[in-house]
Amino acid sequence: MKKGKGIMTATIGLICFVLSYVMFMQFKTVEETNITQIENMREKELSEKLANWKEKFEETDLKLQQTNEKLQEYKQKRESNQEASELLNAELIQAQAIAGLTDVKGDGIIITYTEDENSELGKIEDRHLIELVNELRLAGAEAISINDQRITNMSDIINVMIDGKEFILVNRKRMTSPYIIKAIGDQKYLESALTTKTIGFATRYPNAIVEKKNNIIINKYNGSIKIKYAKDVVKEEK
Amino acid sequence: MVFIAILIGCIIGAFLGMNAPVIPYSLSGYLAISIIAALDSVFGGIASVVKGDFDLKIFVSGFFGNAILSILLTYLGERLNVDIYLAAIVVFVGRMFINLAIVRRYYLDKWTNRIKTAVMEEKAEEDKKS
Repeated sequence: MKKGKGIMTATIGLICFVLSYVMFMQFKTVEETNITQIENMREKELSEKLANWKEKFEETDLKLQQTNEKLQEYKQKRESNQEASELLNAELIQAQAIAGLTDVKGDGIIITYTEDENSELGKIEDRHLIELVNELRLAGAEAISINDQRITNMSDIINVMIDGKEFILVNRKRMTSPYIIKAIGDQKYLESALTTKTIGFATRYPNAIVEKKNNIIINKYNGSIKIKYAKDVVKEEK
Repeated sequence: MVFIAILIGCIIGAFLGMNAPVIPYSLSGYLAISIIAALDSVFGGIASVVKGDFDLKIFVSGFFGNAILSILLTYLGERLNVDIYLAAIVVFVGRMFINLAIVRRYYLDKWTNRIKTAVMEEKAEEDKKS
């Protein structure tokens, strides 16, 4: 009986101990939790959250990297595109200059060719102009115009009879004397080519007066060029 | 003897509990419900002592069993998204009131009986004198 009572006392004491221990622990927890709730969250929860965020961060980081790479790629492409388009633009300008589709400016010579009906030598026909243009081309003229009609590779210079009168057509436009021929190129070459002894154009036809001039402006060809039958071979083959 | 044990147990427990580490907040709900269950057991034990049918085995098993069971039920409720701990609180606190009422009546009876007997004894002595 005494032994049983001792056990009972000890047990009740133990239980009282456990109860008050847990109670005070809880009091403390509640008190502390009201101040800082986050700090007392379970470490596991926090670490889980941390892991989640890390994962998200990594994902986002990966995406960022990919996007950056793509951006770089696009930039490179754009740069190369830009280069290509610059090159293309330069080519286009050159091609247009060759085709006579732009106004050009530069040093060159101006030939004033006046018709003299009375002398045999002073008569001007299409062949004279053709000859002159040919010589100018030979001397390296980059742009030529006759009375502001640009000579392109599609230009024509012909004699026609209208109402019994003879005219010269350049680019199908009627020309009259005096013919002012402008040419841009190396002034020295151009002049010397025209004034060479015996074979120079200006030597043979004294009506043509050659004159050096700087900053000549030669207008563009203002008709339209249509290419209908000539096809690009490379494109066709492809 | 028993009262001394209760007192010592409570004092040591309070002292250690105040110095105990703070438990995680998400677990403090479980602890709270287990405290309610334990308190219910304690009051039940007191009531049974008063009634005279106190059994240590029942008391100890009720103390720990109820605490653990209440924790498990609360956990289950959280899993099911049902606040089962509310039912546990209602039951435990209700029982606590009933047990306290039993204890209160017992001591009230005892006290009134003592006064009654004291009065009767006085009367008896007075009768003897006279």
